[in-house]
Amino acid sequence: MNPARKIVAGSLLAIVVLTALLFWNPRNRPSEAARRPLLVYCAAGLKGPVETVAREYEQLTGVSVQLQFGGSGLLLNNLRVARRGDLFLAADNSFLDAARSNGVLAEVIPLARMTPVIAVPRGNPRKITSLRDLQRPDVQIAYANPEATAIGRVTQQALERSGDWAAIQPRIKVLKPTVNDVANDVKLGTVDAGILWDATVAQYPELEAVHAPELDGSVGEVGVGVLTFCDQPAEALKFARFLGARDRGLPVFAQAGFSVVEGDVWRERPEVVLYSGGVNRVAIEETVRLFEQREGVTVNRIYNGCGILTAQIRAGQRPDAYFACDVSFMTNVASHFGPSRELADTRMVILTAPGNPKGLRSLADLARPGLALGVANEQQSALGALTVRLLRSEGLLSNVMANVRVQTPTADLLVNQLRTGSLDAVLVYGANASGVKGVLDAVELPQPQALAVQPYAVGRTSEHGQLMTRFLEDLRSPASRQRFEQAGFHWRDVTPTP
Amino acid sequence: MSSPSAPHDERGNAARRSRRSDRTFLICFSVLAGSYLLLLVSTLVADLFYTSPGHLWRALQSAEIRYAIRLSLLSCTLTALLSLWVAVPIAYLMARLKFPGKGLVDALLDIPIVLPPLVIGLSLLILFQTPPGRAVERWVPVTYAVPSVILAQFMVACAFAVRTLRATFDQISPRHEQVALTLGCSRSQAFWMVILPEARRGVLTAGTLAWARALGEFGPILVFSGATRFKTEVLSTTVFLELSVGNLEAAVAVSLLMVAAAVAVLLLIRTQGLESALGRPL
Repeated sequence: MNPARKIVAGSLLAIVVLTALLFWNPRNRPSEAARRPLLVYCAAGLKGPVETVAREYEQLTGVSVQLQFGGSGLLLNNLRVARRGDLFLAADNSFLDAARSNGVLAEVIPLARMTPVIAVPRGNPRKITSLRDLQRPDVQIAYANPEATAIGRVTQQALERSGDWAAIQPRIKVLKPTVNDVANDVKLGTVDAGILWDATVAQYPELEAVHAPELDGSVGEVGVGVLTFCDQPAEALKFARFLGARDRGLPVFAQAGFSVVEGDVWRERPEVVLYSGGVNRVAIEETVRLFEQREGVTVNRIYNGCGILTAQIRAGQRPDAYFACDVSFMTNVASHFGPSRELADTRMVILTAPGNPKGLRSLADLARPGLALGVANEQQSALGALTVRLLRSEGLLSNVMANVRVQTPTADLLVNQLRTGSLDAVLVYGANASGVKGVLDAVELPQPQALAVQPYAVGRTSEHGQLMTRFLEDLRSPASRQRFEQAGFHWRDVTPTP
Repeated sequence: MSSPSAPHDERGNAARRSRRSDRTFLICFSVLAGSYLLLLVSTLVADLFYTSPGHLWRALQSAEIRYAIRLSLLSCTLTALLSLWVAVPIAYLMARLKFPGKGLVDALLDIPIVLPPLVIGLSLLILFQTPPGRAVERWVPVTYAVPSVILAQFMVACAFAVRTLRATFDQISPRHEQVALTLGCSRSQAFWMVILPEARRGVLTAGTLAWARALGEFGPILVFSGATRFKTEVLSTTVFLELSVGNLEAAVAVSLLMVAAAVAVLLLIRTQGLESALGRPL
């Protein structure tokens, strides 16, 4: 064989062998092929705890978690271009906000809160005890770039408020692009101090945190977000829930020095209970179904008259969330729930047979003798309570109640009885009438007492508070709003999603 | 004893002077050369003081780092071979042919050298999101998988190999080739039997340069391949990951492993290399 052929054959053989070696990965187990791996973009600063939690998760579920580390900004750029991957774990909320405004982020599960502190080498050789010491002419500090980092931005604002910025600015020897760069500078002794998240300082045994009360108001948040192009949201959210679980991921973060949020309890497939007023069912049912599918959870929904629901709550039932038909049926159980959010409202109507043969135009008309009326039960439902309140304020209560033939716990029963022809009119929500438009006639009541407002709140003792808060976000989405409006509700939640 | 004649004396003085100026010249050059070597060696020594045998041992013990070493060595070698297979024809054609737009092609070939590495990674990432890119991905997953590491390394390493080989082929006189052709060789025979043996030193340099570039390659890999442990993590990304969490000791330990691997492989190629393939000493 001549030397040329030898080279050609030799190098080609080498290429084949090398390629084979590269693709033969001894760690590839067959079980991994069956379940698709999760691709997680993870801020390099969170590497320690996240790797630990991911390994636990792999062992538990057999799903492989591929962690991709880098600076949060770099990762954000990468995932925006690549448009693939499942989760994004950012070093602080500024990157999650940026991801959301770029339209690549869906749900966010919070993990930890962070507070800015002054970082000095262990032992504090320069005796820096306050922001005032940072203004000493013999002190040089490294500062995270306010344009590129959340900590730089929020602490600059805080220092401007406290009036320290002008005096500290000349002491800044260098602006660094990430918190870890600042930490490395302090660690190496290139500078005397830096301003860092308390959680970052906790990761460096060589550093020590000096608490500065002026910076306490500027908290940062660590969270994991689901990417909009993730095509296995249930799997992604499952791992995100694992990360944010108070008995799984969060203790690992706490051990790494983060002050963690109150997370949910870990369940492979959580089962939650949602109490909802009957009137809301049509508006939320589809949203609940999609939520179950996306999160991989089971939502046991209990639709009933709100009087019955609140009675059950007072009797000790603790739903994970409660969507009331009216605020008056939230206030009486408010101590069991977190802050409530008003999502929609609906006005009461007089619903009559087609063509309104009895010519019923106002509440006063309902007092005419000889009518057969149906109303909701005062004790069992918000609608009944509202009806009584309204009639009393108009001075018509006893006269109208004299015509009432039937009282039911929910409005849909009334609508059905009206349709059978056994009643002349019923008093229900406008939302109850949307399904029978064209079949029955509705007269809207203008009185302020005729308005029912629907609030949603998460159970204070729920083990799945974060999950139910995410459900609230789904309820507030434009798609959900459309379902509410189709169901005859008026949308009330006008403040934009934070 | 007769006194030496004046002209002879002058010649001797001149020789001594020239020997002395030779010495000064060599000393000056040695000092300049030595200052760079000193800088190199002192950084390595400083590195050594920043880490400990314990850190080195722990780095070697870690399965992630062992995987990264294996992936780095395999991918760099594959990249170097592929680079040579592409760079040799490119450099040969560019050295021997004249065609319109040659200046433009020449400039194009330099792009990977001029572009910031991150941009190369980003461009590859974008390329594989286009319809043809996606079509390729359906058959062979590239983005965030092992082939992306090779591709990212190849993009840059090949450009350096082309530069080196171009200079080599430019220096080989076309006369030898023409003689071979007149003696009845075909163009391909002339290339394999005359040009390539003459260019072996350049090919070797180009190969080692490509290998070394690939080993140090980092920016494009971070963007295009990610740094997934046990998948696309190479030694240079390990260093970055350790640095980003402030683990300077481990980063330095891995860097030293890289230095050791690089020195070992470069020495091996220089001493063995093509010599055995060509069956004659360099």
